[in-house]
Amino acid sequence: MAHADEREIEERPPEEDSELEAHLQTRRMMINLGPSHPAMHGTVRMRVELEGETIVRADPEIGFLHRGFQKSCENVTWNQCLPYTDRLNYVSAIMNNLGFLKAVEKLVGLEIPERAQYIRVAASELHRMHDHLTCVGAIGLELGGFSAFLYAIEGRELIMDRVSELTGARLTTTFGRVGGLNRDLPDGWIDRVNRTLDKIHELLGEVDGLLTANRIFVDRMRGTGVITTQDALDFGFTGPCLRANGINYDVRKAHPYWVYDRMNFDIPVGQNGDNYDRYLMRMEELKQSEAIVRQALKEAPPGPIIVDDWRVALPPKAEVYGTIEGVISHFKLVMEGVPVPPGEVYDCTEAANGELGWYLVSDGSGRPYKVHVRSPGFAILSGVPRMIEGRMLADLIPTFDTINMIGGEVEQ
Amino acid sequence: MSESDGKKPDGNAQPPPPGSPTIHPAAKTGPSPSNPPPSPTASGPRAGIEHQPPAAKPPTPPPTPGGKPAPKHPGFVTVTVDGKELVAKPSENMVDAVKKVGADIPYYCYHQRLSIAANCRMCLVEVSNSAKLVPACQTPMAEGMVIQTKNPRVQESQRAVLEFLLLNHPVDCSICDQAGECKLQDYYQLHDYRSSRLEGEKVMRTKRKVLGPLVVLDQERCIQCTRCVRFMAEVAKEPQLGMFGRGSAEYIDTFPGKQLDSNYSGNTVDICPVGALLNRDFRFRARSWFLSAAPSVCTGCSRGCNTFVDFMGQDTYRYRPRDNEQINKSWMCDQGRLSYKYVNQQRLAAVLIGRGEDRREATAAEALKSVAEQFKALAGTEGLAVLASPVASNEDLLATLSFARDALGLRSVYVAGRHEGPGDHYLMTPDKNPNRKGLEWIARGLELTLKPFSELGQAINAGKVKALYAVGGEVPVDPTLVAHGFGRLEYLVLQSSNESAITAQAHVLLPSAVHVEDEGSFTNLDGVTQRFRRAYPGRAEVRSHWAWAVALAQEFGFPWTQTSARDVFREWAPRIPELATFDWDGAAPPLKVTRGLNPLATGADGRPPGYREFGPPRVRGI
Repeated sequence: MAHADEREIEERPPEEDSELEAHLQTRRMMINLGPSHPAMHGTVRMRVELEGETIVRADPEIGFLHRGFQKSCENVTWNQCLPYTDRLNYVSAIMNNLGFLKAVEKLVGLEIPERAQYIRVAASELHRMHDHLTCVGAIGLELGGFSAFLYAIEGRELIMDRVSELTGARLTTTFGRVGGLNRDLPDGWIDRVNRTLDKIHELLGEVDGLLTANRIFVDRMRGTGVITTQDALDFGFTGPCLRANGINYDVRKAHPYWVYDRMNFDIPVGQNGDNYDRYLMRMEELKQSEAIVRQALKEAPPGPIIVDDWRVALPPKAEVYGTIEGVISHFKLVMEGVPVPPGEVYDCTEAANGELGWYLVSDGSGRPYKVHVRSPGFAILSGVPRMIEGRMLADLIPTFDTINMIGGEVEQ
Repeated sequence: MSESDGKKPDGNAQPPPPGSPTIHPAAKTGPSPSNPPPSPTASGPRAGIEHQPPAAKPPTPPPTPGGKPAPKHPGFVTVTVDGKELVAKPSENMVDAVKKVGADIPYYCYHQRLSIAANCRMCLVEVSNSAKLVPACQTPMAEGMVIQTKNPRVQESQRAVLEFLLLNHPVDCSICDQAGECKLQDYYQLHDYRSSRLEGEKVMRTKRKVLGPLVVLDQERCIQCTRCVRFMAEVAKEPQLGMFGRGSAEYIDTFPGKQLDSNYSGNTVDICPVGALLNRDFRFRARSWFLSAAPSVCTGCSRGCNTFVDFMGQDTYRYRPRDNEQINKSWMCDQGRLSYKYVNQQRLAAVLIGRGEDRREATAAEALKSVAEQFKALAGTEGLAVLASPVASNEDLLATLSFARDALGLRSVYVAGRHEGPGDHYLMTPDKNPNRKGLEWIARGLELTLKPFSELGQAINAGKVKALYAVGGEVPVDPTLVAHGFGRLEYLVLQSSNESAITAQAHVLLPSAVHVEDEGSFTNLDGVTQRFRRAYPGRAEVRSHWAWAVALAQEFGFPWTQTSARDVFREWAPRIPELATFDWDGAAPPLKVTRGLNPLATGADGRPPGYREFGPPRVRGI
């Protein structure tokens, strides 16, 4: 009846302020971001429940990149684990390699030569720059700024050139051995690195100019993806994501290792814990890493690059081919692996995304009993729903960028 | 010549000559101290043949304040090793005893079953009753002795001994068969990990000198431990090796004009700690770390020596002896060692039906159906016979003979098997079948009489036996003659593992598994039943004899459901009084040395399991 219809229409909810507006039939939608999605770095699936544009619930689902890293390491010798560690955080492979080796050396009780420590620091920082450049470029890319991405990737390519000269590979470096390094710096490499760093400095200037004061960029990044400091600590955030909240914690300063205590560098610390601050952390850390690399390469003393103990390090090839002791030692190290004494250790380094921890258990043979990686990205990814629930879908994208979750290390 | 010449070998070394310190009565009860010996007259092997017993010295001195205290554990010797207390029998060797408290003394020339030579000096340890380091293998333990196996003095001695041993050792690891199972490699990495201080050339000697049909010697790699010399003299009782020369020009060799042709020469290869003595049959065929080991029993004769079968993929590469105190100690004869070849060569893999031109491949189901048809017609009559082989395992025979009795209604079974060969003075028996005793027991338990092979020949010639179910293709006479005889059969079903002249005569040829391809047990000539483990599954259509028997019985309508050798044993062994008490699972040698979870499971002999699933490496040129 017409009268009843009119009454129904009057009983519309108060938000409907215009008679001409049709009553929007909203319902909660669950959409799937990923696992195959250009903005989902490395095969992560986000089940996102939306009310209109608002994310009501975000549920990250991982496991699409689980490759059995821990189990694979149990079947090979300690040094043979290194190629597996490359593929954890594949954007900064050297930091994985050297972090793992640091933990093994702690378990063995080895002190590596000084030159090796300097070179390890320089290589780690170089790959930290590699990681941050990729992250910063990707942030620009996914917010629509393609040029910034290209500049950043150009910088990344330059670093890759230097790294391939040093290790032989662009991405999966397998750098270092238990007890030191496998090869020394190539001739002229330090000069080339310095020139590369100059060039990257310029490129960073471009990226900075394009993004940092860019209105669209700032509007999308500032105030989005906010996490409170207490939440960040509770979730186990480390690295730039934690420092963006104002906590001054960096493993390189808190528990210095190798020769970091001799390096002059600062730790950038943010304030707001939003996407913009996390972006600024990375930009600043790039500058600091540049300084560390320059200093380390300048100050690296000449000397051996691996310990002189044939129970751990392969003997020089002349001895392997010429003496029975050398060939026996080579045989045993290759076939059975470095005999790490039985025990367990947890050791960590400051990787590009935070504290990269290694829990190793040895049973006394040349193969690991257990290798577990505490990846920084795992803890941070678990905090993403907290950062994004109640925000808009468009905020999810820069949030996912700035946390720089690398699928390989989260899922091993 | 010693007093043990002419005595039958029992796998242990000869007892030490009279007058030597170790047979001194004080050594049996725990002297205090025994090094130097308590009585000045009994001073060692040079002290005449009749030894003077000590002047009424009581084994345990009275507990007076001035005398030695009574032993802490009477009848045993209590010593302190690296700070830990160890209680051991006084006759136990120190090198073995200290393993109980976790100490590890390296050694080359010492072997539990051989006499003590103490010439390698690798086992030197520090003991409390001597200012010098003493060889642990030669020093009897005294009550209250303090033994140090790990202090810097001992470590320096171990390092120095290794340095000297490696001084003239050739750089051969890449081409030496022993790599991966070489004690020089193992101890170098543990005790001397330093570089060489040799200036100049190494001493060069004869490489690859063929000593005998099975053994080749590389005199440069030899470390002159004399294990091989002592073994041949003491255990095999055929002293065919000797140490010639003096000082650093010493070398091992056979005597002029003689060869190392003993039936136990292969054991010298096992006990040689380095790659000096090598097995000519195995040389360069496989690298030891590719091989996996499965514990098994030798099928070369009825002695039943325990073995390790070293295999890679689905091929057997060699047999090694496994320790068994009762039967073969740590030894094997050469004939048994080489008897692995039939496991690889000329194996049948496909089910074949038809003789001559009609022969074609068939499925197992088809073949079984045709066999069942033919046998059902003849079951219970004299025209059908079963030929059982004493090479088959107990489980094979249990299922087959039960099938013969229940399904085919037979009361007697013919016995085939390999023909007799020579025996020798120690392990090798003339009966070359591993399970004749088992066959006899099972037949008796199932109330079947056993008839010899010759009677089968007569029965076939007389036309009485028209169809034959032959389980196992081993025959005690010339196979070509047998094939000729079998040609007269109207229907021959042959389950054989290897191709031979007889297999051509089969109307239905079923490929069978050998012992390495299934679990089971053999009973040796002394009535000892032993379990063997499976190394790898058989290829293609290969099944064990029991599996074929069960499948045939199912065709006959019997509700037999056995799917493993264990099921077969559980089902029928209770009817055999001798086998009813055999613990089939408990007697099985373990496939891993350490129980429980192993992240990279160690193999049956304590070594890593090898690349069992890959087969030989696909490398160009090999």
